[in-house]
Amino acid sequence: MSVENKVEDFSTPIGVHVRNLSVVYETNQGQIPAVNHVDLDIAAGEITGIIGESGSGKSTLAMALMNSVSKPGRITNGSVIVDGIGDMLKISNERQRRVRGKQIGFVFQAAQNSLNPLSRIGHQVLDLGRSHQVGDLRSLLRHARDLLIRLGMDADRVLMSYQHELSGGMRQRVGIMFALVLDARVVILDESTTALDMLSQASVLEIVRELHQERGLTIVLITHDMGVVADLADRIVVMYGGELAEEGPTEDLLRQPQHPYTRGLIRAIPRISGNPDEAIALNGSPPDLQTFAQSGCLFYDRCPDRIAECQAGRPIYKEISDGKKVACYKVDRRD
Amino acid sequence: MIEVENLTKVYSSKSGIFERQSVRAVRGISFHIPAGGAVSFIGESGCGKTTVGRILAGLESASEGVIRIGGQDVSRVSSKERQALFRTVQLIHQDPYQALNPARSVGQSLLDPLKVMAKTKRVGDSWIRDRANEVLTMVGLDPNSVIHKYPHMLSGGQRQRIVIARALTVEPHVLVADEAVSMIDVSLRLGVLRLLRNLREKLNIALLFITHDVAAARYVGRDGEVHVIYRGLILEKGETDDVIQHPQHPYTQALLSAVPVLKGLEIPGPDRYIPLKEMETREDVETGCLFVSRCPFARDICREKSPLLTGEGHEMACHFAQVRNVVAMPVVAD
Repeated sequence: MSVENKVEDFSTPIGVHVRNLSVVYETNQGQIPAVNHVDLDIAAGEITGIIGESGSGKSTLAMALMNSVSKPGRITNGSVIVDGIGDMLKISNERQRRVRGKQIGFVFQAAQNSLNPLSRIGHQVLDLGRSHQVGDLRSLLRHARDLLIRLGMDADRVLMSYQHELSGGMRQRVGIMFALVLDARVVILDESTTALDMLSQASVLEIVRELHQERGLTIVLITHDMGVVADLADRIVVMYGGELAEEGPTEDLLRQPQHPYTRGLIRAIPRISGNPDEAIALNGSPPDLQTFAQSGCLFYDRCPDRIAECQAGRPIYKEISDGKKVACYKVDRRD
Repeated sequence: MIEVENLTKVYSSKSGIFERQSVRAVRGISFHIPAGGAVSFIGESGCGKTTVGRILAGLESASEGVIRIGGQDVSRVSSKERQALFRTVQLIHQDPYQALNPARSVGQSLLDPLKVMAKTKRVGDSWIRDRANEVLTMVGLDPNSVIHKYPHMLSGGQRQRIVIARALTVEPHVLVADEAVSMIDVSLRLGVLRLLRNLREKLNIALLFITHDVAAARYVGRDGEVHVIYRGLILEKGETDDVIQHPQHPYTQALLSAVPVLKGLEIPGPDRYIPLKEMETREDVETGCLFVSRCPFARDICREKSPLLTGEGHEMACHFAQVRNVVAMPVVAD
């Protein structure tokens, strides 16, 4: 490890605070709000799971955390404050570039698209080191090797491999190595295990769990699979149509989901014990262009508990008890 | 409905100038599915489960083994008859985004197979229209709203329903669903699984369900059988719930352990374990148990002698088969 890497303090985890963040996509049909006035605290040293269907804006939110939303997307409003660094949306481009990789690591859904197909994994580690001004490349490579061994792989073989020579599960582990090799303190995993089969998924998640404990990492886990966050996350955030629907501590949220959407998601998971007919499919389709346009609750069309009030306006996302937030008129009424 | 005996598939590829390398993708698999029944093949990527499905759908030929569809041995009939037999087996692909032609509307996609059917049945255009509406209704879609749509206007779940509707146009006796729900949002998966289950009951279609998701297999085929497949070999098989509740092979136990536990609603099984090592496809070792390099319970004998499938009804191939509690149990409400 180089001297500048050593300065990193493992004892204080970094949190991320999102305030009033909005991202729009410019299209021929006008602007589509992919992330709409989102307030979110990603607690330092915890695993936060963000769950949503395709088109819920969860990946856009993830990219916005690093201020790297790609065109035609555009961040129109808000701030992303990373502890000890400042507002990702305001600091200079060069500083942002350094923060990505150095402080914030990102593991993509399709690792084969984020790795260079023409260059060996080892060379790509060196490329990363050079672009981040790492003085001692040899020790960086040694660090990468240690990490790969830690991830349960034959490190020397992997470093000498091209990406197509690795299986899906191995590529995802290489992705995790890249996210951690510069000692990032915040790691964002965007659908990182979605393309994997159950067993590879379980082993990658197990590794994430262990690394989180060993290094006190702040982890953001983005997925459409409730099972994944339910097993791993300390806290779950449910996203729907670019807005937050509900959030709370994992066990609480699973036991007493408040939002009908959350309830529907939990109910739709087929289980391997108990009566399989207890699983009930969620109605309707994920939000599309028309959904965003409506003035009422975004979930109205699919909601089994809807009332007339729901069409009047968007429900306000607010705290209902310690650490639990929800946006639903029905919940408001109960109080 | 469909019987398979000792199915084997060997792929050979060039390695070097003179040498040929062969990969044994399927190593002697036997099973049968009755009309309306279900058999699930469970295993991870690269275990040969897709190859089995492709052979049954007639897309690939078996290296060895006998396949009987409706009692007829496919290798003993003329090529025309064989084509007709394989038409009764329809494959549903993993990726509904690639299985549909993006330039053709839903109606157009359904038209071609229906024209063929109309010709053999000697019926007219009105039958084609009615039948198109019928299959779309059968898969839970509103014909009027989707028939003119193009694939990009539909969600993943809807697309997979169209693929299933298209398969139904030729009135199949067997559906082979190869990872049919793994590309679909989890929230929409259950709807498609329920559809497959209904088709079995209503149309008496036999289902071969190929998946890595044990819970999905249980949902569509609770009254059927589960076959756990590893590197082309069946390691454990039996009635669905018997295999899931009383798994005896360490590999089955690993697969069951991999099912995420819902914190707060379930407690993990006391024997849960997840092997961190990946499957080694390059492994040349052909003697002994194929799972030995990843098995936490392996002993010397496992490296020397291949275990055979033993047992009545619930069979497993392991020298040290033993029931372990790996399945998460629901928390009793307090």
